[in-house]
Amino acid sequence: MNDVFVLDHVSVSYGTTTALRDVSMTIPRGGITSLIGPSGCGKSTLLRTLNRLNDLVAGARLEGTVTFDGADIHSPDTDLVDLRRRVGMVFQKPNPFPKSVYDNVAYGPRLHGSPIDLDGLVERSLVRAGLWDEVTDDLTKPATPLSGGQQQRLVIARCLAVEPEVILMDEPTASLDPVATATIEELTRELSAIYTIVLVTHDLRQAARISDRTAFFAAHAHDDDTRHGELVEYGPTAEIFDSPADERTREYVTGGRD
Amino acid sequence: MSPTSITTRHNAHVDVNPLRTGIALALLLSAAFAVMTVGGLSYRREMLIAAARAFVQLIVVALVIAWIFTHPQGAFLYLGIMLIVAAYTSNRRIGGDNRDRMGVLLAIFLGAAATTTIVAVTGALEFSAQTLLPFAAQMIGGAMTTASLAGVRLRDDVHDQLTTFEGYVALGATYQQAGREFAKRASEKSLFPTLDQTKSAGLVTLPGAFVGMLLGGASPLAAAQVQLLVLIGLLLVQAITALVTTRLISPLPPDLGRSIAVTEAVA
Ligand SMILES: Nc1ncnc2c1ncn2[C@@H]1O[C@H](COP(=O)(O)OP(=O)(O)OP(=O)(O)O)[C@@H](O)[C@H]1O
Ligand SMILES: [Mg+2]
Repeated sequence: MNDVFVLDHVSVSYGTTTALRDVSMTIPRGGITSLIGPSGCGKSTLLRTLNRLNDLVAGARLEGTVTFDGADIHSPDTDLVDLRRRVGMVFQKPNPFPKSVYDNVAYGPRLHGSPIDLDGLVERSLVRAGLWDEVTDDLTKPATPLSGGQQQRLVIARCLAVEPEVILMDEPTASLDPVATATIEELTRELSAIYTIVLVTHDLRQAARISDRTAFFAAHAHDDDTRHGELVEYGPTAEIFDSPADERTREYVTGGRD
Repeated sequence: MSPTSITTRHNAHVDVNPLRTGIALALLLSAAFAVMTVGGLSYRREMLIAAARAFVQLIVVALVIAWIFTHPQGAFLYLGIMLIVAAYTSNRRIGGDNRDRMGVLLAIFLGAAATTTIVAVTGALEFSAQTLLPFAAQMIGGAMTTASLAGVRLRDDVHDQLTTFEGYVALGATYQQAGREFAKRASEKSLFPTLDQTKSAGLVTLPGAFVGMLLGGASPLAAAQVQLLVLIGLLLVQAITALVTTRLISPLPPDLGRSIAVTEAVA
């Protein structure tokens, strides 16, 4: 199947706040799909819907259907552990576990039944995340003293170690300096050859540089001061940036407004 | 260690005169009330209610325990009820649901049972309702405090470090597995109060069992022995109860981590 995720009339609300309204879109296999839009338009909400992390938010409610690989992820038969193993996530703020570098990467594989060659898997994951050379001698040391950029690559390695099919990234470079950002961007690009990547970013130039498809979301304000997020336009990145169909998209991508 | 040193109730006889006790209590309470009035402190009503509750509760408990001393099988019923009340109380503090309560109950039971068994089997306390009932009751009380502390701590820690918790979950950990990563720290933190209490025993305060035995006419050394059994027993209770509680209860409050509410799309 070529579509990894299919969202059909999806609305998500938190209590009385409607974060996303009536979003329908498909995310094809491979490459980078980026989600852009102003703060509060529901980008993180959409991302966290894909691995059902919103289950951890009190009062979160969803309408519509989301399928992963053809299966409804909200069906009672859904194996959440399996879903989350196949759909990895990298967070905005690097969140290394309070463990050694090695144990951070080995956590997932151990959880799902230690592979025969755990050392090899940890090494391969760190190599693929471009962190191996920097931590070879510090594998048994705690991960927390690593720099932000290193921590984020560690989190990526940790995610790769469970051999996912999709990697969800929520503003992975938002807390990083330009050099670390460039490293992560390059890495993300490389990974997109093997994995399907869904990237939330505030950085329009980042979306333009590395993503294959871009979805623009906007927050729609109501008279009663409430608002909801909605999908305005979705298509090949070049189209969204060079010839957007919607006026709101044009304004957003040309204004460089955040 | 000779058992004679702690079978004090056979040789020490304490006279308490209900009339004199009553007079003293009335004076103590009126004095407290007067002092609070003069000092302009509120909560006088609460103090009176607290005193009245303590009065009724202790009299009832005394009658029940007196009955148990002549009907030792009753001890199991008494401890069983105490266990259930402890589990309810602790689980309410933690904010758990019915399943959490079962975990808390088991945690309290295991801690108190292990400790009481050791004390009974070694013969450190005579094998009778008179000695084991108050000991076990004290262990259940300690276990209840520990279960509350450890459980609240676990939930607080997970709440405060939700992004880390989500990190585990996002890798495919079940909520219980992710919670286990927080269990050790939460258990450790729940031990501090008693560690302090044990370290300072006799220095800062005279612990309850010790004072009680002295008032009851026991020798100071006998009182010290019993107090040590209680204090060290509580250390074991805590270790067990904290570890079991933090592993059995859900790391998330009941309204979280259940599956997300899904409704059909409105066309
Ligand atoms: N846990 C939550 N509880 C209640 N409301 C929430 C919660 N998370 C998000 N929201 C609300 O849902 C809406 C969408 O939030 P979301 O985080 O998805 O936006 P976003 O596009 O990722 O924003 P940002 O760019 O600031 O990260 C916002 O109005 C937000 O206040
Ligand atoms: Mg966000």
